[in-house]
Amino acid sequence: MNNLVKILLNLIIVGAFSGAVLAAVFSVADPMIQANKEKELKESIFKVLPEAKDFKTLEKVLGPEEKVVIYLGVDEARNPVGVAFKADGGGFQGNIGVMVGLSLDYLKLKNIEILDQLETPGLGDRIREASFKDQFKGVEVQPKVEYIKYKKPEKPNQIQAITGATISSDAVVKNINNAVARLARAFPKEELSKVDTSAADPAVKPASAEVK
Amino acid sequence: MAGNSLFYEFKKGLWQEIPPFRLVLGTCPTLAVTNSAVNGIAMGLATLFVLLFANIIISALRKYVAMQVRIAAYVVIIALLVTVTDMFMAAMFPPISKALGPYIPLIIVNCIILGRAEAFAQKNPVVPSIADALGIGIGFTLSLATMGVIRELLGFGSIFNVKLLGEWFEPWIVMILPAGAFLVYGGLVAAVNWISSRKEAAAKAAAEA
Amino acid sequence: MEQKTLETKEIKTAPPQEPPAQAATARLVVSSSPHFLNTESVPKIMHSVVMALFPAVAASVYFFGWRALLLVIVCVAACLGTEYAFQRIRNKPIKIYDGSAIITGMLLAMTLPVGFPIFGAVLGSVFAIGVGKQLFGGLGYNIFNPALLGRAFLMATYPVLTTTWVWPRTMEKAVDAVTAATPLAMAKFEGKLDVPLMDMILGNTAGSLGETSAVAIILGGLYLRYKGYINWKLPLGYLGTIAAFSAVFWLANPAKYPSPLFHLFAGGAMLGAWFMVTDMVTSPVTSLGQWIFVIVAGILAVVIRLFGGLPEGVMYSILFMNAFVPLLNKHTRPKVFGAAGKQS
Repeated sequence: MNNLVKILLNLIIVGAFSGAVLAAVFSVADPMIQANKEKELKESIFKVLPEAKDFKTLEKVLGPEEKVVIYLGVDEARNPVGVAFKADGGGFQGNIGVMVGLSLDYLKLKNIEILDQLETPGLGDRIREASFKDQFKGVEVQPKVEYIKYKKPEKPNQIQAITGATISSDAVVKNINNAVARLARAFPKEELSKVDTSAADPAVKPASAEVK
Repeated sequence: MAGNSLFYEFKKGLWQEIPPFRLVLGTCPTLAVTNSAVNGIAMGLATLFVLLFANIIISALRKYVAMQVRIAAYVVIIALLVTVTDMFMAAMFPPISKALGPYIPLIIVNCIILGRAEAFAQKNPVVPSIADALGIGIGFTLSLATMGVIRELLGFGSIFNVKLLGEWFEPWIVMILPAGAFLVYGGLVAAVNWISSRKEAAAKAAAEA
Repeated sequence: MEQKTLETKEIKTAPPQEPPAQAATARLVVSSSPHFLNTESVPKIMHSVVMALFPAVAASVYFFGWRALLLVIVCVAACLGTEYAFQRIRNKPIKIYDGSAIITGMLLAMTLPVGFPIFGAVLGSVFAIGVGKQLFGGLGYNIFNPALLGRAFLMATYPVLTTTWVWPRTMEKAVDAVTAATPLAMAKFEGKLDVPLMDMILGNTAGSLGETSAVAIILGGLYLRYKGYINWKLPLGYLGTIAAFSAVFWLANPAKYPSPLFHLFAGGAMLGAWFMVTDMVTSPVTSLGQWIFVIVAGILAVVIRLFGGLPEGVMYSILFMNAFVPLLNKHTRPKVFGAAGKQS
């Protein structure tokens, strides 16, 4: 009996102590972690929408499993300059997450940024290099982005795939095309022009409010 | 005498019981996160931190923990330390935290830590446990750093992100891939065994002479 | 470990741990255990294999120029050098003249694109002989085909260089395009299935030195068969499985999947079937084991080609099955006649 009490006390004390310490550390660390994430997101949005000084987050639920989140970039006078959104999809090894900046008329890419990737180092992960990403500046997305191999792009909707990393290049292009199509479905152009951009985005709030 | 044995507890982790190469413990991080020297050292230091505090706490509590639930209690303590480390790294060093990915949380199941708790900390006072943790932890960090340096040098031509090999060097991409980890690991285990066996042979010859 | 003759031993009495004979002068064929009695010597077989590779080498020089020959020479020299160095360090008798290292070098060169850098060829050869063969204990002890292991290492080490192909000199396109795509890569990534079959049979396509010309390889293979050094089951079983299995997909959807003939003559299927599947050291010795070996390897090759991330799957299919050879040998060994039911 005594032993049972000892066992129970052991576990209760260890558990309670651990819980208390975790709570304390979490309350300090979590705002910083959220701030890091937000900083990363912001930086990538401003990178793909170079004219933007701020952005407004728009969300729309398309179905039970599908939620579209886009970021409408605005300049200093709070006029919309372009729309940014994340394009996810499978690459050679894992998810490739691309932040895409698109013009307001949904016709031309402004820039892209690779956020997450697990491609083969030295091969597929060259999609992060400027020489690949910069190709997407000004590329037309209608009817869709294409890639060609071994030679310079000929049409305004083409980019050149990385030699030896066709699958990774293909995945980036596919992700962009899918995400653009989804964007057009969720937010028709006309709807976007009606969005009130005068107010600052409430998403730019102290990060500690995000604690879940 | 006490000083000597303390030093022995520290020193054994550096060669005689160096975890990945002699004990073949902690191979998961050894293979998974050593594709650059910085990652290897960061992982090693994170493990060292967890190991040190796990040894201190478990050694201090060794008289109060019931035998039947000791493993459960140890795992909770180790998990606490690992979670704190994980949050600390995500808050302070986001790029390294991202590069190490799930391997920081996986320190919880790193057999070195539970192994030292079982084999050493629960039987010894706090001070020798600290010496043991420092020795094993530093040995582990050095092992991961060695792996990281070799793989980064051959795989990227650099060490600590400083380009060492010139344009003429065509990086061996295999070294950054998992296959390269196994090749380097096998090579290092062989090298450590070879050096030890030579040392032993020399010691034997000296003893006979 | 030293020279050992097994002339009186037969399959059932040779335990699996018995080291295969290494003596170049012994009247023995070198293979993984168990051992068969044979009157051929190792060098004789090996030199016949070298002879059988000559048509393929000649074809590669014809299609890709003299640099092809240079690559072959570099690989052979590097393989011989590594073999010598290892045998020297391990204080073993120097047996580089038995021809096995020459074959490894030639086969490795056959799997490389013509523009492959010399240092890479040397690195691959050192890995093939050093890690692929000598670390396991030398000829007869290696689990994996050394040439394929060297190629796999190079593939992982220099993924771009090993897949940077050029058009053969004989093609008109050779003038205006620097890099080319192999028929398999075109089928996989561009959906182009219209490479002329005749070009693939003759070798007038982009690809590795020895894999483009099916005719030259079949010539060599038939020579080896004529000499009786290869078992018809291995190459024909492998090719047959590839043809049959790919035909299933082709019949289901000819617009999407390439035809069985395409699969047979594209890429490394021919080279793999005649010179790598048939490797005496790394293929099973029992009849049932050989059938399992080639059928699974053939299916794997097609699966990798059609559904994998890589255009070519011959190399990995053979290496994968190499790993199962000891298991296949163990479990397909024929029962000793008259022995009681218990036999492990």
